[in-house]
Amino acid sequence: MFQAVCSSAGKSTLTAALCRHLARKGIDVAPFKAQNLSLNSFVTEDGGEMGISQAFQAWACGIEPDVDMNPILLKPKGEGGMQIVLHGRPLKDIDQNGERADIGELLGHVSDSFSRIKGRHDVIVIEGSGSPAEINLRGRDVANMATAKIAGSPVILIGDIDKGGVFAGLYGTYNLLDESERAMVKGFIINRFRGDASILGPGIERLESEMSCPCLGVMPYARLRSPAEDSMEIGKQEADASGGDVREVWLRSLDDFTDVFERSIDMLALEELIEKGP
Amino acid sequence: MIDCDAKVREELAKGDIGENRQCEYYPCHFDGQNCSLCFCPFYPCNDPALGTMVESKKGGMIWSCEGCFWTHRQDVVKDFYRLFKASSEDPSTENLSKIKSELERTHLKDAKRVMVMGATSGAGKSLLTTALCRHFSDLGYRVSPFKGQNMSLNSTVTAKGEEIARAQDLQARAARAEPNARMNPILLKPIKDDISQVIVEGKPFKDMNVKQYYDEFALGEGVKAIARNLDVLRKINDIIVIEGAGSPAEINMMDKDITNMRTAEIADAVCILVVNIEWGGAFAYAYGTLMLLSEEQRRMFKGIIITNLHGGKGSLSSGEEFLRSSTGVPVLGVLPHIDLDLPDEDSMFIGMRKRRSDRLTVGVVRLPRISNFTDLDALSLSGAEVRYIDRPEEVSEVDAVIIPGTKSTVDDLRWLNERGMADALRKMRGSKPILGICGGYQMLGETIDDMKGIEGGVGKVYDGLGLLPVRTYFDAYEKRTVQASGNLISDRSKAVRGYEIHMGRTVRDGGSELFELEGPEGRHSEGIVSEDGMVFGTYLHGVFDLPAFRELFLSRSKITLAELKDEDYSQVVERSLDRLARALEENIDLDRLHDAMGVPK
Repeated sequence: MFQAVCSSAGKSTLTAALCRHLARKGIDVAPFKAQNLSLNSFVTEDGGEMGISQAFQAWACGIEPDVDMNPILLKPKGEGGMQIVLHGRPLKDIDQNGERADIGELLGHVSDSFSRIKGRHDVIVIEGSGSPAEINLRGRDVANMATAKIAGSPVILIGDIDKGGVFAGLYGTYNLLDESERAMVKGFIINRFRGDASILGPGIERLESEMSCPCLGVMPYARLRSPAEDSMEIGKQEADASGGDVREVWLRSLDDFTDVFERSIDMLALEELIEKGP
Repeated sequence: MIDCDAKVREELAKGDIGENRQCEYYPCHFDGQNCSLCFCPFYPCNDPALGTMVESKKGGMIWSCEGCFWTHRQDVVKDFYRLFKASSEDPSTENLSKIKSELERTHLKDAKRVMVMGATSGAGKSLLTTALCRHFSDLGYRVSPFKGQNMSLNSTVTAKGEEIARAQDLQARAARAEPNARMNPILLKPIKDDISQVIVEGKPFKDMNVKQYYDEFALGEGVKAIARNLDVLRKINDIIVIEGAGSPAEINMMDKDITNMRTAEIADAVCILVVNIEWGGAFAYAYGTLMLLSEEQRRMFKGIIITNLHGGKGSLSSGEEFLRSSTGVPVLGVLPHIDLDLPDEDSMFIGMRKRRSDRLTVGVVRLPRISNFTDLDALSLSGAEVRYIDRPEEVSEVDAVIIPGTKSTVDDLRWLNERGMADALRKMRGSKPILGICGGYQMLGETIDDMKGIEGGVGKVYDGLGLLPVRTYFDAYEKRTVQASGNLISDRSKAVRGYEIHMGRTVRDGGSELFELEGPEGRHSEGIVSEDGMVFGTYLHGVFDLPAFRELFLSRSKITLAELKDEDYSQVVERSLDRLARALEENIDLDRLHDAMGVPK
């Protein structure tokens, strides 16, 4: 499972790349994200609504999108209110100060969907949501550590170096988790790096010892043309006037991106983690 | 032997004479000093904050105030004469020392320092520094911003022709101070890959790559430039608001980072950590940043400020309490997201402004090395919408086109050609107005002569777009940085102002001159407009800040501007600065910050 130190750190793209990598090796793989906060949704063949990122990740796996890959979709409506879409169907609208969703009930739905997906595929690549270390959301965060525990999966933390402060972000996130959660973190990745990665050496070494887990690699800044998930990405999309089916353009771009991923990340260590489990 | 008492009496009678640049000793204390109190009425003040006992040339000890700037500050002199007049011009030692203690209460002899550092880039450091500058200025203090080293392509030119980052220029405006190179002694302007032009104290010093910069410059001359300029600012201000760069906790290069903790230590400043909550993970970033510093460094932090909160505050108190107990640093408040009309600092925010499609649209070519795109901010004040374009077909979707400044004219001209933009622009010529600013101006001409390889690396003459009858020559590694103001030649009552930052010179052999300018070298004409009035070129950055040229340029596109509102951009900026300072005061516990800094109540 990929979790990250903040939003837009590259969780969805690295999830898609790992899906693609495994699919290219002939492994039966599927994506999963328990809860997605996004206005960019996709509709499955049977009319279920889900996050478009998970649909894209499904195509990366060479399979059709299924609402079980994203059982909860939250669609912000402004003023802090949002629509909850559960298993592909709108459940209800909630507002900022109104009733809160029952976390236990939501986790039950997550668990149901995950069991179904797991039953149909050999490997599941899971994506977290936002940061797992939001102290003010403690006990109410469905999509990160709670999902990792349901799935019994090792967790890899992603830090975005493009924003600066990546070491502080990783160190802080790790240390704000509780002990049982920290034990699930098996590695970290530094994403979106520009320049010569050797200058990061002393920083990475210190983090490896502070976090008792290895750095699985430094992913260079690489463009991926994929469906944008949230408003912060507007305007960052690369222009492409090639015409044709955009899904094919996305997948072609993902293939290039996956090549970079395979070159930059310690794939042996990553596959060993997948094999071994938590 | 000079009769000092007589000299003092003379001065007191004369009043405030300001700077005396004719004096052969000017500046005997600091550049910009007030010379009225040349013979100090407080001498010998025996104030250890202002001077010291030294051995006299004739033997024995004597009071020396060679290093004192305080009585030569413009604000101190002004108040001195005000108080002196109010006390019936009584020249007795007793009255003068009463005046001195009165002055000391409002004019601090050693400026109080606060430093704003960020957990990430874009955390809101710059904005918060700007807000603090305006806040302290509103309290009546003499305030200066400071950023030891800034990496930015958006620079501006001070009245003295020094080049500094736009961010510090704006902060100076917030502080109501004259912008100068002391506020930003090192400016790095990325050229390509890992090479930057290093500007020291406002003047180009050298082009360096990252390794050279850190190995040969930063820890030696770089640190010295920071310390030297901070030292002067401390003596001539009441408050210095210092901004860090990036994150202070980049543990792979902490020993080389001169802009964060190193500057804080040199300045012995009270530090504030800013963290942007919009991206999530704010508490983790704040905790991680503080805990990766040494304990001594961590103790310099007196507060955390959370910025950019969208929507309600919800319940952040558990996170705030956690940060205070685990790091020892309290959260001073949460600053909500505010929409302000201030120039953008980072290219990151290009294109993220809200758009309305029912307006006149100006297409700005998004060059790969685009610089000074802050020039375009003012267009919205004439109702125009700015849209960044980089595909040929987009040229037909806009009402006017601007080729902005670039850090590399030759490389970006090649990009225009390869991209098909050059052909698209030639095709639209005459139907819509086109403007080239600085590098864009050079591109619009017939040729760019770089036979010495100064701009492109190899000796060559490049073909321009051929839309303006001008030729540009790069014949020396010289950079022109001047401010100028004047008027349109087509209508002398219409004012323009701006500043030039460029290498190369451009020669016109057709069309008409655009502006009549007054600058440090006297009157001259600048810029060009084509015969048919549809293609413009100028070196003047900030050319749209005043309405006259905005209107002229936009009036050449089809849509009428009759009902569109217009305003001087600087008034809009002023209002934004005030709103920003009020938001700071409403949301942040500033009493606590004042106490930590030792700002008098």
